[in-house]
Amino acid sequence: MTSSDKWQLGGRHRKLGAMERMRGVARYTDDLRLPRMLHAKILRSPHAHARILSIDASRALGMPGVIAVITGSDMPTPYGVIPWTTDENALAIEKALYVGDGVACVAAESEELALRALKGIEVEYEVLPAYFDPEEALAAEETINPYARKGNLSKKVELEFGDVDAALHGAALVIEADYEFHGTTHGAIEPHCALAKVDADGLLTVWSATQVPHYLHRELAKVLETPARQIRVIQPPLGGAFGGKSEPFDLEFCVAKLSQITGRPVKLLYTREEVFYAHRGRHPMKMHYRVGFDASGKLLAVDAKTVLDGGAYSSFGLVTTYYSGQLLCAPYELGAYRFDSRRAYTNKPACGPKRGHGSVQPRFAMEVSLDKAAVELGIDPIDLRRKNAMGEDCLTVNELRVGSNGFLDCLAAVEEASGWKQRRAKLGFGHGLGVAGSTYISGTNYCIYPNDMPQAAVQITLDRSGRARIFSGASDIGQGSDTMLAVIAGEELGLPTEDIRVLSADTDLCPVDLGAYSSRITLMVGNACLEAARKLRKKVTQSVAKRWECSPKQVNLVAREAIDMHDPERRAPLVEAFQWAEADHGLLGEVGSYDTPKDRHGSYRGGAIGASPAYSFTAHVAEVKVDAETGEVGLVKIWCAHDCGTAISRGLVEGQIEGSCYMGAAEVVLESHGVNSEMGGLHHGPSLLDYRMPTTLDTPEIEALIVEAPDARGPHGAKEAGEGPLHSTIPAIVNAIYDAVGVRVDDLPVTPAKLVRALAAQAEKGGV
Amino acid sequence: MNEPRETPPGARLLSFRLNGEDLSVATADHQTLLELLRYGLDRVGTKQGCDSGECGACTVLLDGRPVLACLTLAVQVEGRDVRTVEALAEREAAALLDAFDRHDAAQCGFCTPGVLMSAEALLMDKRRVVSQGEARAALSGNLCRCTGYTKILDAVVDASEKLVEAADRTREPAS
Amino acid sequence: MLPLLRTPVATPHTLEEALSLLAEPGARILAGGTDILPNLKRGLGSPSTLVSLHAVDALRGVSVGDAGLSIGAGTTLTQVATSGDVKRMAPSLAEAAESVASPQIRNMATLGGNVCLDTRCRWVNQSDFWRGALGGCLKSAGMNPEASFAQAGVCHVVPGGKRCVAAISADTVPVLIALDATARVASASGTHRLPLAELYVNDGVQNLALEPGEMLLGVDVPTHAGARRERYVKWRVRGSIDFPLVSAALRFDLDAGALTQARLVVGVLGARPKQVAVQKVALGRPLDQALATELAELAHRQCKPLENVPYEAGHRRHMLRVLVRRAIEALADEA
Ligand SMILES: Cc1cc2nc3c(=O)[nH]c(=O)nc-3n(C[C@H](O)[C@H](O)[C@H](O)COP(=O)(O)OP(=O)(O)OC[C@H]3O[C@@H](n4cnc5c(N)ncnc54)[C@H](O)[C@@H]3O)c2cc1C
Ligand code: SF4
Ligand code: FES
Ligand code: FES
Repeated sequence: MTSSDKWQLGGRHRKLGAMERMRGVARYTDDLRLPRMLHAKILRSPHAHARILSIDASRALGMPGVIAVITGSDMPTPYGVIPWTTDENALAIEKALYVGDGVACVAAESEELALRALKGIEVEYEVLPAYFDPEEALAAEETINPYARKGNLSKKVELEFGDVDAALHGAALVIEADYEFHGTTHGAIEPHCALAKVDADGLLTVWSATQVPHYLHRELAKVLETPARQIRVIQPPLGGAFGGKSEPFDLEFCVAKLSQITGRPVKLLYTREEVFYAHRGRHPMKMHYRVGFDASGKLLAVDAKTVLDGGAYSSFGLVTTYYSGQLLCAPYELGAYRFDSRRAYTNKPACGPKRGHGSVQPRFAMEVSLDKAAVELGIDPIDLRRKNAMGEDCLTVNELRVGSNGFLDCLAAVEEASGWKQRRAKLGFGHGLGVAGSTYISGTNYCIYPNDMPQAAVQITLDRSGRARIFSGASDIGQGSDTMLAVIAGEELGLPTEDIRVLSADTDLCPVDLGAYSSRITLMVGNACLEAARKLRKKVTQSVAKRWECSPKQVNLVAREAIDMHDPERRAPLVEAFQWAEADHGLLGEVGSYDTPKDRHGSYRGGAIGASPAYSFTAHVAEVKVDAETGEVGLVKIWCAHDCGTAISRGLVEGQIEGSCYMGAAEVVLESHGVNSEMGGLHHGPSLLDYRMPTTLDTPEIEALIVEAPDARGPHGAKEAGEGPLHSTIPAIVNAIYDAVGVRVDDLPVTPAKLVRALAAQAEKGGV
Repeated sequence: MNEPRETPPGARLLSFRLNGEDLSVATADHQTLLELLRYGLDRVGTKQGCDSGECGACTVLLDGRPVLACLTLAVQVEGRDVRTVEALAEREAAALLDAFDRHDAAQCGFCTPGVLMSAEALLMDKRRVVSQGEARAALSGNLCRCTGYTKILDAVVDASEKLVEAADRTREPAS
Repeated sequence: MLPLLRTPVATPHTLEEALSLLAEPGARILAGGTDILPNLKRGLGSPSTLVSLHAVDALRGVSVGDAGLSIGAGTTLTQVATSGDVKRMAPSLAEAAESVASPQIRNMATLGGNVCLDTRCRWVNQSDFWRGALGGCLKSAGMNPEASFAQAGVCHVVPGGKRCVAAISADTVPVLIALDATARVASASGTHRLPLAELYVNDGVQNLALEPGEMLLGVDVPTHAGARRERYVKWRVRGSIDFPLVSAALRFDLDAGALTQARLVVGVLGARPKQVAVQKVALGRPLDQALATELAELAHRQCKPLENVPYEAGHRRHMLRVLVRRAIEALADEA
């Protein structure tokens, strides 16, 4: 064995803490209880847009068991996860902006009493005109968000690379169409929950089902006007997030404030309905695309116009607006590219980041455009994608620097696995195969708030018993990031993952990490962890070498042993090696940190948004059976090949691919987060009955194919796997539906009713 | 219970068997089994995802059959046998847990206790190797948002195989 | 979590006890609880007492007598779906029971609860906050007399309508009607029977022709000695959990290949199931492709789904036609 051989890396590992979670031992946030704990509930606005004239809580305060009531004016400082768009208050102050906006919060001896007390709070509203359509909102006089600076225009980005008009003018084929992506939400099975307590010395501790403990920490300090050093944020095991818990919410501020006021612990658990109001789900987008090709199918230009429906607050909207354009520039060479994206405020629950933030919708438009072009030009859709694929180590049209690129291998893998070549032409009417490709970032180049500190940091300590402890701020939201860190550290230190304890997501114990979003953890935290582990490995191998009187280079640490690679008979238990090292160096602890390279993007304004140290690539083939009479789409199978750089733990990567395919598929045929004028701004069905998430019987067979194109910037070459594999699921299915029945539905979801209408229209035209 | 609670009207003593142990606890008429388990008895393994019968996170076994604790009143289990994810002594459960662990069938783990209860009932009922289709049907009332079900279904089928293998091994010497 | 009012729960062990408890004004039955508890958690209803039937053994079980099948109201849907007798003598009933909700719910839910399931409407089966924001409607105002709704007299499905058209959504009901089942109904003062079809009235606020204090003891499904083909079809979006968006029960009795009886009962239209008038067209004819098309057209013509449950009414109507035709085609193939 040489030290470059992989030991555990790339294998399968039992996930850290999985047994505890499965057996019901691990305590999620709502599983925590503290002595004298109060329960809080939030009063929500029944109006989509209303001025708050007065709030009178005196009756509620007189009710049995009610301890305190707070309103917006108790926490007047606005916040926002993006520091340039602080347009939210913990509770509404001047106006309520959507049905479900928080207005007041009660703390009482029990949840039941808190709920009852909500009825004792009288709020006088002046109802204002509400806007549910982004274009209508943009045209309206009335400004929805009181902090907005440009009316209802929440963000506008216009960028052009190359001469798009000229390129389209000279194109042999221009595919022009309108696409619509409806809204969808995350639907984590665990509802949001937060618990706060204040110690006698004033230290505020907040436990929250959040995926961004650090940002929560910062915003709590700001809104509560309490120094950050007096606040501790702990993220207990999390029951799913998918972007839905990636910024602070009203409940966290409320429990914190109420525990400061009452001196007692306070817990608040959202109902499922409130989870739908908190939302921050995928933005509805209306997209107008013009995509030009030459006669051979080479992409010449893309011209994209997009309107994003943002809901009442900015959330991550500034970034979403950029992402809706910036992330389209791989895996194909676009020629020339222009995008014009406008995000509008509307009187609805705010949209934000859902798995594949901002780029899932444009990917749908782009990949369907490619499919249309393939039909027009008579080129196999996979070949068309191959023809336009960019290589590795290249610059995109918008000046993002792409490193490793396994896209062609992804295409080949799904082509092969699905039997594309042999089967596709033979499938009868109603049965189809569709393909799509995509790319995603492995973390963003810049932090949400500008600073010169590292983006990720990890601390590792070893102890005499032969164990390691990893302290990481990273949030394991179910994706298995704790296990990933243990594999990376264990690989360097010769420790199996069960000998490693990962302490994560506690702002008192762990170094700062920015959180689980933008698929940043494996690359960034993984790199930081690798650095710390390597430093420790060096100390240990030095101490071993000193005793064996050999070069540290020939000492390998593997499977709980130190081994002399030149004389494999010579071995020492790792525990002894650690003790030698502790004797030589003192307590064994090291830190590692990671910051992104700053030379991988253009210098134009906004050029850094969408830039990442490394990009993942994905290709999907979907197989569907469409019942042309009922319009029902049967999802038969999805093949997904994903280039994650290097799979550090295979099961984890497969799990991310499978979960992504499932989630994307649901967005095509089932789910829709409906809030519009039809029900006067009321959510169409804020429940898991009406928001139809797939059951086992609705989920197709999914085959995850791992492609590895290691990237020099990733730890052992690793890139992301958590979000990329969602993107092309959607257009692959939509394209398969076309392949099956010869009609296209360009506005999602593809419901049976729409498909039947489309087929009828086609039949009328004499098609099919 | 640390929190002060008023004595609710209609409070009564409830006796039932929980995970093999006979219990007598005070309960209020309007309390659901889910509330009693989670907040009254601190058995927090049974989760709540909707409180309305729509997600399956609260699945427990009542007299051996999977039911939803959020739609069961505590008073309805008087004299009956309730099993939750905390009771994992039985062989089905152990085989399932091991298979779930090997297959990485739990991501966030929040749906898993409920899924395990449905799966356990299936394996106890069939006592043979189950098909993917049978597993899909048996788990069709448990929503999982993380896994796309793939690894869950694989794990359930695998556990049923392991159980049959183990049963065959114990039979062999006799034959 | 969601609150339940502090309603006392009575747990009788005998039928007599149950009936006398039910005679109290405002008392309601709690059977499997899978309909009434979600509704009460959302503020739909405020009973004075819940009379839980879980310990009334006399209400449970499937038995076969001379007249046919007799199924106790307390029998769970799992039991109905898996009973050998039901599968043999009323296969479409087993099919309907199997299609309800999810496995866990079928283990809890009772046939009686399904037959007495409250009607459903997307403007009402929401939280009390939601309905409050909406301003209520005819039905929600009726269910919660304490709340004052701004739109208490309004129907959102049929603007200007004065009668609630919330949809009957129970899977077993169309089948039971198609099979000419009778209901056994009891109160403290006695027992009577009525054809199941007559158990329903055309009012979504209260679609059951049960007097206060009355309880369903069970249903009797007559057997048929000759050839019979029957089927239940249900359209829903997901493969599990979902309520029907439109449904139909079909039953055809044949003698020497000619139809002697035909029933087509459609669910999820308004407050009660609709019996499509098919006898005139069907009797004397064979079960074949032509009949399938004709009856499907008839169903399409006579049934107009409303925008009361969460899916486009037009498509539900389309689905009814397709499902009815396909079901008859499949039954014809069985022959
Ligand atoms: C997520 C979800 C999905 C569902 N999907 C479906 C579905 O697909 N199809 C479907 O049909 N239903 C569905 N249901 C509704 C419900 O589960 C079933 O209809 C079930 O059969 C109701 O029976 P139960 O015993 O639980 O009724 P309960 O809730 O106990 O009672 C229902 C009503 O009937 C009354 N009642 C009960 N028994 C009697 C009696 N013997 N005499 C007089 N009145 C009585 C009760 O007072 C109450 O008003 C669903 C429910 C949920 C929560
Ligand atoms: S049908 Fe009309 S009255 Fe009846 S519940 Fe629906 S909206 Fe209310
Ligand atoms: S919590 Fe019981 S089904 Fe969701
Ligand atoms: S593992 Fe997260 S919901 Fe199933």
